[in-house]
Amino acid sequence: MNRFAPHAIILMGTVVAGMAAPAFATQYLTVEQAQKVLFPEASSFRDATLQLTATQMRDVEKLSGLPARSVGWRIFAAYRDAELLGHVVVDDVIGKVELISYAVALSPQAVVRQVEILAYRESHGFEIRNPAWRKQFTGKTAQAGLTVGDGIANISGATLSCTHVTDGVRRIAAIAQVALKAPAAAA
Amino acid sequence: MRRAQPWLGTLVDVSIVVPDADADADADADADADAGLKAIDAAFAAVALVQRLMSFHEAGSDVSAINRLQPGQSVAVDAHTLRVLRCAQSLEQASNGIFNMACGERLVAWGQLPAPAGAMPATGVAAASARPLVRNAIAIDAQQRVTRVQPAWIDLGGIAKGYAVDLAVDALQAAGMRAGCVNAGGDMRVFGEVDFAVLIRDPQTPTLAGHRLQLRDQALATSAGYFSGRLHEGLQTSALLDARSGQAVPVGRSASVLAPSCMLADALTKVVIATSDAAHPLLARFGATALLI
Repeated sequence: MNRFAPHAIILMGTVVAGMAAPAFATQYLTVEQAQKVLFPEASSFRDATLQLTATQMRDVEKLSGLPARSVGWRIFAAYRDAELLGHVVVDDVIGKVELISYAVALSPQAVVRQVEILAYRESHGFEIRNPAWRKQFTGKTAQAGLTVGDGIANISGATLSCTHVTDGVRRIAAIAQVALKAPAAAA
Repeated sequence: MRRAQPWLGTLVDVSIVVPDADADADADADADADAGLKAIDAAFAAVALVQRLMSFHEAGSDVSAINRLQPGQSVAVDAHTLRVLRCAQSLEQASNGIFNMACGERLVAWGQLPAPAGAMPATGVAAASARPLVRNAIAIDAQQRVTRVQPAWIDLGGIAKGYAVDLAVDALQAAGMRAGCVNAGGDMRVFGEVDFAVLIRDPQTPTLAGHRLQLRDQALATSAGYFSGRLHEGLQTSALLDARSGQAVPVGRSASVLAPSCMLADALTKVVIATSDAAHPLLARFGATALLI
């Protein structure tokens, strides 16, 4: 019986969230999944949470041309055995209608390798007005015997700009340059 | 399996349909997941290629190389760029100039696009000008070289996103994926024997769904001004303009086009939104249908 408990909790969480806000949201990757996608060759990820000093924050602002925004940053260091492969920085940005969580992979030299979106949701709650439609989207994961992730709805509309994510990546590149970059090897 | 990355100034969402995992075949499920991840990587690489070749503001793109030419000069471009330019040319002819890629300068003047570094100045048309866009800005010769005919900046923003979606779908299929969806900020294509439910934003209230569609093996693109619309020097502007008048199309309406390819769907939305004609004869010619909301 015990082994079913975690599933039950997850399901309940889904239902509660669904009732609280009939909003459009897509979960792409968990932080753990993103780590593996960004650094498939890594054997371990270690917490490398960072607190920027006042001087580092000023340097980040100078380098990126953007406010440094926070002191604390959620970072993981990727290792293959003892070798540092790079870092994963996890961040959220809020746009006019959207709330986006994303992860940036950087090399030890602070070069951006890849960006993956972790989750997207409409910040004001993208509503499906007609209850009959909504019913079709709840709990429906299998179509024609095939599974589409969580996923039903795609939204079509005017192109949503991802300026906030691009700015966020630029800020994180500057943070890596200021606080994560490996010292140049001695000649 | 579903992932998203920022490309082409928007979020590109790639989902693939994986067969229901058999509880007894964990090894198979792992192999499927690995193949799926690799296929999605290939899809994003295809989108990245289109961004590198066709971005208006990346100095290294083919589009920037064309915009830097003096009138009369020519340049060789990638086969992908050539394919999009040819499609844009034929749509300009077929639509009698309603679709026109020579819109770069107007969009820069409106603050919708950043001014390209090192590009030759275009015609110097003021932002408020209601002049039509110049026609036949470029020519493609028998050696596949692109000649700049008119001093106008070309921008493939109205068609290249659709082409990127098509290339990404090709990449997924080449990697053996049987069904999936690529959605570049609202321009999407689905493939395989699966129905995909899609919601179209209500242009009056974009946080609500205004319409619902079921897609199978087809592309859908939507154009509307509600996210890009803004006042620029007292003038209503957006990323969408009517090439015949040179003015922005009214915000508050949206045009969606269903077509066999996303490149066509993307480009044809510009014709539908400019003409307010969801039954424009051009649609049938390309096997497309449209919906105005």
